[in-house]
Amino acid sequence: MNEVNLWWLGGTGIIAGLLGSMLGVGGGFIIVPILTLALHLPIKLAVGSSLVAIVANACTAAGAYTRSGFTNIKLGLLLETTTIPGAIVGGFAAAYIPAAVLSALFGLLLLYVGYTMVARMYSASNNTNAVIEPDTSGSRLSRSLSDSYEDENLSKKITYNVNRTPAGMGAGFGAGILSSLLGVGGGVIKVPVMHLVMGVPMKAAVATSTFMIALTAATGAFIHQHYGNLQPFIIAPLVIGTVIGSSAGVQLTKKIHGDWLRRIFGIFLFMVSVLMFLETVGIID
Amino acid sequence: MKSNKIDNSRLKAWSSIVFRVGIGISLTLVLIGFILLIYISRSSNIQPFVKLEQIPAAIIISIGIFLLLLIPIIQVILSIVFFSLDRNRLFIGISVAVLCLAAISIIVLLV
Repeated sequence: MNEVNLWWLGGTGIIAGLLGSMLGVGGGFIIVPILTLALHLPIKLAVGSSLVAIVANACTAAGAYTRSGFTNIKLGLLLETTTIPGAIVGGFAAAYIPAAVLSALFGLLLLYVGYTMVARMYSASNNTNAVIEPDTSGSRLSRSLSDSYEDENLSKKITYNVNRTPAGMGAGFGAGILSSLLGVGGGVIKVPVMHLVMGVPMKAAVATSTFMIALTAATGAFIHQHYGNLQPFIIAPLVIGTVIGSSAGVQLTKKIHGDWLRRIFGIFLFMVSVLMFLETVGIID
Repeated sequence: MKSNKIDNSRLKAWSSIVFRVGIGISLTLVLIGFILLIYISRSSNIQPFVKLEQIPAAIIISIGIFLLLLIPIIQVILSIVFFSLDRNRLFIGISVAVLCLAAISIIVLLV
């Protein structure tokens, strides 16, 4: 295996943390392609390293979100009952699936995420003005998952119930497989499902997804460690960079218009997915 | 099924503390190991796999990474404690189930 430059790895972490926190994604979409395409590391090593960096990114953001009261911890724990089994299945599957297939799957995922970013199917800033009133007709479980937070933009307390929990739990299983298999957070599935299907306000959906990502990615990382896919010297600069980038991204988000950034990043993901496909079929090295 | 809102907000406050303290401790260890690695290697270009002289740096970084991965699991244990104080049996059960599932992944690591 080639030598790797520690500063390049640190820079990758900073970019992943910065864009990840600004765009509401885990950072795996940036780390895995850079480690494989630019630094020529094996994809399984890239996936394992990416998962640890995602845990660092998610824990940094989750600390702020839970303090603000956005995180619905009960909902996060309930959905984790299916997401963790998915992460365990994905972690084992990653060990047996050929690297070329993993690259192709990752390319497909990038295409999907790129499309959602360009088409603006969801965004962290989307629908923040929606006020979801508590639904008193829900089931007992739904009512027990109800939560509230203070929305500073609206100067109002937002209270909401959670609907269609079975659909959310099913999506959680899929997000867990995706996370461990491809080294991503899985927020691209969790956030839209929580918001659009379960009726959770966007801020709470992003915060709860971040809380869950930390646990799902940690579970996946333990499985990857079993297969020797966690190398401390690759992970250390990535983790340091990710935390620095994530902290800076939170501050920059307040100053930069998110919609354009999201669209440009979506186009970038399209291009990276094409590169990954070309590498998979052997057209580029 | 009782749901105590005071404990719910307390859970969020404590959860935030665990996240921030956990990331602080683990990041400090990873940073110390990283500085030691640069000092020992005297180069910013390294082989991904650990050499004999790099073992001390690798151990410190690995402990930092292990603590980082434990933070979300400590969160689940914290939830069990809070739901127990709240006597919320449904969420004690859910949290214990999540903890058991997470424990499977750690057992896999140790086997």
